[in-house]
Amino acid sequence: MGKVKRPILLKLLFRILLPLLLIYGLLLIFTYNKNKENALNDTKKYLKELTKYNAEKLDNEFQEIAQASYSIKNFVESTMSITDEQLFEFTKKVVMSDEDNIGLGVAFLPYKSHLEREKYAIFTRENAGKYEMSDLTQLYDYLNEDWFQIPILLQNEYWTEPFWGKASETLLMTHAVPIKEDEAIAGIAYADVSLQTVSQLTKNTNIMNGYSFIISKHGTFIHHPVARYKMNETIFSLAERFNRPFLRDLGQKMIAGESGVASYKDLQDEEKKWIVFTPITSTGWTFAAVIPEVEILASVNKAIYNQSMIMLIGLALIILIIIWVAYGISKPIRKLTDYAGEVAAGNLDLQITDIKGNDEIQRLAEDFNNMTSDLKQHINDLTETTKAKQAVESELKIARQIQESLLPRIFPPFPDKKEFDLYARNIPAKEVAGDFYDFFFLNDEKLAVIIADVSGKGISAGLFMAVTRTLLKTVLNETTKPDIATAKANFTLCQENESCMFTTMFLGIYDLQTGMLEYTNAGHNEPFIISKAGQEKKLVTSNDIALGIMENYNYHYQTIQLEKSDTLVLYTDGVTEATSPQEELFGEERMLQVLQNSSEYKLSELTDKLTRKLQTFQADNQFDDITMLFLRRNY
Amino acid sequence: MKRTFFIILLFIFSIVCAQQVKFEVQWYPQAQFAGYIMALEKGFFKQNGLEVELIFSDGSDEPLQKMKDGDIDFCSAWLSAALKKCESSNRLVNIYQVLQKSSLMFVAKKSSNITKPADFNGKRIGLWGGDFVLQPTAFFRKYDIDYEKIPQSYNIDGFLVGAWEVASAMYYNEYHKIYQAGVDEEELTSFFFADYGLNFPEDGIYCKLSTLQENEETVIAFVNAVQKGWQYAFQNKQETLDVVMQYCREQAMRTNRAHQKWMLDKIEEAYYYSGSENQTEPGVLPIRDYYRVAEELKEQGFLPKIPRYKSFFKRIVEWEK
Repeated sequence: MGKVKRPILLKLLFRILLPLLLIYGLLLIFTYNKNKENALNDTKKYLKELTKYNAEKLDNEFQEIAQASYSIKNFVESTMSITDEQLFEFTKKVVMSDEDNIGLGVAFLPYKSHLEREKYAIFTRENAGKYEMSDLTQLYDYLNEDWFQIPILLQNEYWTEPFWGKASETLLMTHAVPIKEDEAIAGIAYADVSLQTVSQLTKNTNIMNGYSFIISKHGTFIHHPVARYKMNETIFSLAERFNRPFLRDLGQKMIAGESGVASYKDLQDEEKKWIVFTPITSTGWTFAAVIPEVEILASVNKAIYNQSMIMLIGLALIILIIIWVAYGISKPIRKLTDYAGEVAAGNLDLQITDIKGNDEIQRLAEDFNNMTSDLKQHINDLTETTKAKQAVESELKIARQIQESLLPRIFPPFPDKKEFDLYARNIPAKEVAGDFYDFFFLNDEKLAVIIADVSGKGISAGLFMAVTRTLLKTVLNETTKPDIATAKANFTLCQENESCMFTTMFLGIYDLQTGMLEYTNAGHNEPFIISKAGQEKKLVTSNDIALGIMENYNYHYQTIQLEKSDTLVLYTDGVTEATSPQEELFGEERMLQVLQNSSEYKLSELTDKLTRKLQTFQADNQFDDITMLFLRRNY
Repeated sequence: MKRTFFIILLFIFSIVCAQQVKFEVQWYPQAQFAGYIMALEKGFFKQNGLEVELIFSDGSDEPLQKMKDGDIDFCSAWLSAALKKCESSNRLVNIYQVLQKSSLMFVAKKSSNITKPADFNGKRIGLWGGDFVLQPTAFFRKYDIDYEKIPQSYNIDGFLVGAWEVASAMYYNEYHKIYQAGVDEEELTSFFFADYGLNFPEDGIYCKLSTLQENEETVIAFVNAVQKGWQYAFQNKQETLDVVMQYCREQAMRTNRAHQKWMLDKIEEAYYYSGSENQTEPGVLPIRDYYRVAEELKEQGFLPKIPRYKSFFKRIVEWEK
């Protein structure tokens, strides 16, 4: 027994594990993508909320500042004539009430103030714990300043870009709102906040290891971790410097007041980053958070890792189960294989008792047991049969020997008779032949020659032949007439011929003195007479039926004169119907060709010659008995 | 031959005792003055025996007047500004015309439907004062434009938020600041005065006629170094930008490198500009432009008598590649 090349265990592992791995893999990829998408969406949402929260926080501060300038506007508009003291008291009150360090003021168009001055602009702020109101006209010509001119031109409130405040000597942003008098703009009320205050508000915004920045409505960095960007660079100047058209597009979205999320490669380290931006509505600014993508993906990857680990453990468990199952299935099979090996080695007494389980394999074991028993029975039967067959075969051999001993086999048979020569041969196809020949003297003058072919072969044919032969000898004791002898023998043979066997037969009575041959042909092949000159002649017969068929059949006889050196040739169909491997029949033609110039040969030589020819022709594959008999008249 | 000998002489002289020189430009440090900064930083002045003090004006003083008063030796000024200061006594001379092309322009948003001068009618137009108003005045007269004048400050916020529809801009400066505020060039319509027959050459280097007469070798040495400085600046832009940005930082200028690069590029264009009318070399004041500016100044009442070109512009150096 060789080793199993592909055990069931491996097959199970392959057929279950591979598809399982495939499904697991696909599932993992799918869940990874799905989880990644979800996590990214969640993070996006979170970041959006966070930036929105920060933006709103700033927006609230700015709205409070705007509220301060509005309160002054309302105060000025509602007060018919106003004094410096009133203005100072009011602005001081507003400055005090605000949490952020702001400055407040009003500025008028020439001759539009209540005080009818050409220029009038004041500014109140806290300075070292003291509140003071300064006259801006002493510092510079405010009329062309953005914070004054632009809201008047726009006729609307206006947040300036950060600028260098000459009065406060710091970077400022101003909210200004036009003051109207009789529907015409008279001046503006304004509130300042320093950029430092704004930066303070954004400082504590730390988002997922990223950073945040603020750009103004014209793209200028108000707040950025890179200090030199502040007030120097705009998002567009960076896009220009680093040649990033994408950043310019993004900046345009930002200053258009859009909010959104985008990913880009960092300007410095080329790291992939996410940028989330939200507008700060009141100032038109944009608050943005920049987070490295690895930070975002880290949480995603962790979840994926955990999930993968669970899947792997599951997979390992499945492998163990497969091994266990495969072992359970293959163990009885392996046992069965061992048993089969033993049976093959000859142990038929083996009975399998240790395979249980009420399953197909137990069934197989039972069948196996039955098979072994049956096999044992068969082998016993076969032994018996073989023994019987061997017995029959040995008996057949004996029968053959008997039969052979029945046929006259000593040639020349009658050495003292010089009037004729006779030679015969019988080559049986089976152990017991159905053909036979015979010759014997009826008296001093008359010689009987017989050739016959019993239907069928083997023992029954042999027995029938023996019976026929004995019968002929008996009847030829009573008569020398071939037709009568044949009829008598036929009658007897027909009695109790239950197996319906029959014999073709040629019976000739040869007169030694005259050379006359009287003969009866009972369905046998017509013999030939070959003259000394080599001319062949087929004997004329009345073609009577074979023996053993019709009880009261009347047989006929013919007579022919054998001349000196004529040879009578008797044969059975074993000669003419000898078959070559090409399915060709030997036929009369070939036979006569062999027998040409027969007078030149002794009869024994002639027999050998024909025998050799037949053996060559049949290539030693004899199907039927071959029998031949030659009779030659010498004088 | 004579010149070479002279330079060698100057070189020897410079080692013995360097000539102290004060040179003031009309604004804060930026790429507009890159040539002088590089001449100073690369030691071109020193090589010519000059110890130059480069002064950046904050816009509050008048370098031309300071020069006339003898406080400084050389100054950078617009041609129009210098012409206005050109009286018969205490005369000034242009010794090097740096910018051949006027960079002054009007810019408008396409969304305001302004595509031609006639569209300016009835619009708010941001205008600077002083010398910046000469070309616009000529422009409005030429195209008979009725407009609302807005005193424009030195930033572009008012224009960006739409407080006025047309802004004054220097091509090398404000125009690009608009771009750096996210407005694409395709969104803008530009009106270069030079394209409307009003090319007023801008920055030139001036000194008193007396300085030229008394210290010709100093003037030659100075102008030579200036020309070398400009050539160096244009040929070594990255290095120049490094230095300019350094100057800007020291003066706490609110600017960025991309902007200074743009400015340097545009200054280079104006430096090498050679319009069909002025087939001149860098440094030379084109005679037709000179008379155009002078005529316009006379027309606007700033110049009673036009000085002869030859008495106003003195070619000190030959152009060398």
